[in-house]
Amino acid sequence: MIRDITIGQYYAEDSVIHTLDPRTKLMGVLIYVVALFLVKNSYVYFIFLALILMLYRVSKVPLSFLLKGLRGIILLLIFTFIFRLNSTPGAEIAHIWKITVTEEGMAKAISLTSRIALMIVGASLLSYTTTPKEMADGMEKAFSFLEKLHIPIHDMAVIVMIAFRFIPIMLEEMNVLMDAQAARGVEFDKCSILKKCKNVFTLLMPLFLSTVRRASDLAMAMEARGYSGDGKTSKMYPLAYKHCDTMAYIGMAGLLIIIIALRIIM
Amino acid sequence: MIRIKDLIHRYTVWESETKKSKKTVLDGISLDIPSGQFVAILGANGSGKSTLAKHLNVLLLPDEGTIWIDGKKTADKEALWEIRGRIGMVFQNPDNQIIGTSVEEDVAFEPENKNLDPEMIRERVENSLKEVGLFHKRKSSPFRLSGGQKQRVAIAGVLAGMHECIVLDEPTAMLDPGARKEVLQVIRNLNRQRGITIILITHHTDEVIDADKIILMDKGRIVEVGTPKEIFRNPELLKQMKMDVPQVTELAYRLHARGIPIELPVLTENQLIDRIMAVKEQFMKGEDLENDGR
Repeated sequence: MIRDITIGQYYAEDSVIHTLDPRTKLMGVLIYVVALFLVKNSYVYFIFLALILMLYRVSKVPLSFLLKGLRGIILLLIFTFIFRLNSTPGAEIAHIWKITVTEEGMAKAISLTSRIALMIVGASLLSYTTTPKEMADGMEKAFSFLEKLHIPIHDMAVIVMIAFRFIPIMLEEMNVLMDAQAARGVEFDKCSILKKCKNVFTLLMPLFLSTVRRASDLAMAMEARGYSGDGKTSKMYPLAYKHCDTMAYIGMAGLLIIIIALRIIM
Repeated sequence: MIRIKDLIHRYTVWESETKKSKKTVLDGISLDIPSGQFVAILGANGSGKSTLAKHLNVLLLPDEGTIWIDGKKTADKEALWEIRGRIGMVFQNPDNQIIGTSVEEDVAFEPENKNLDPEMIRERVENSLKEVGLFHKRKSSPFRLSGGQKQRVAIAGVLAGMHECIVLDEPTAMLDPGARKEVLQVIRNLNRQRGITIILITHHTDEVIDADKIILMDKGRIVEVGTPKEIFRNPELLKQMKMDVPQVTELAYRLHARGIPIELPVLTENQLIDRIMAVKEQFMKGEDLENDGR
């Protein structure tokens, strides 16, 4: 279970989408999600599907990754579908066991499920084409105006970066702890959910302690390397908009206008 | 140039929930380290050597006594960043000191904190990574590197800060023998080719045979200061302090104790071979003389 988690979904490729400024991509995802929620007619989702397929093609990320993104939320999708199907009143078309399927329910279920699926697939493209560091840099710069309101954006960016750095280390440590306990007879795989939760709980305490120790070490190393928390810092690769970013922004504006127009017309 | 005079450091220890007491970890250390030297601080666990290292980078402040780094007192708050600019530090666990999510990002951390130009940062990162031989790995995630490579990244990170002196606090303690060699080689080159003052803190006696000076510590005090030859002449002292002596040194010492006229101390395998050959020749000559006499 916990062993299978892969972090850092970044898929290294040399494509236009990879070279886009992270701010552009963040904005793109935001506009994409807003546009998805503006859709009223379910047929419009085909536009989004076509768009996503095209973007995956351009980014050279294999389509299997698209499905991988969906696999994680498959339960949520099924649950949403059945729940919508059952709980929408309207003209009844079928009645299976306790589930009443209505025409409206069918339409709503399909629409809502595809909306969620499209949203996830779109957002995962961002994580496939942007390194965590780029993401943190992008957010830092995009929200840097908040520094004026004394919100510590730079600190938050550092925290995000360290979190990304430490997730694999902590996972590894978790695995070591699990092996150590499994060697002393704790079952992690073949037992009930309740038992599983209990077992995981016994892992948390040692993991927590070692994390605190690590944090104190890291703080010392950071201080020794000139991190003071305040004061100006610079970047090895400062973010700068390029020609392709402008094009991307025009494209996004275009998408938004088309979707709004479609909503008004249909 | 580092000068330490009568340095005393005490930690607070909680004996029970309510009772606390002070434990003296450094007890009157006085020391001079000239620039450009390779100095090794040798001591068993709990001898206070790591505490001493932290004092050099002002991660700790003296309870009593003074430390001058190039004439600046560490207790002086205004000199803090200047001192840290001169003295870089590498810690024991590479995982706990690498901050970046990729190798080059981590090496860039210090120059970024110093607010340098992007171009200059890239140049420093490139030079530092080439120095430790990891330029080809610059885009990899530190997580995917071996222990020795990680520690070399940490060293590159400190190099990018352009310090005059680097303090390494047991950099090889968590590494396997192959990786230890890798890291030590890098450290040696930095001292010989770049002229960086190296202060290597360790409990492995075989790592210090190349040092210009060895400082032997035990229970918060300096027991002896000398060249490797002087320190290893008498392995008994090291053994009293519960430290291993390099195998060749030990072997030569025991041979000597059994009455074989081997010249002490022996620090490397090649030295031992040479010395044994010398003894053998002497012996042969002696035999020849004896034969002639008959």
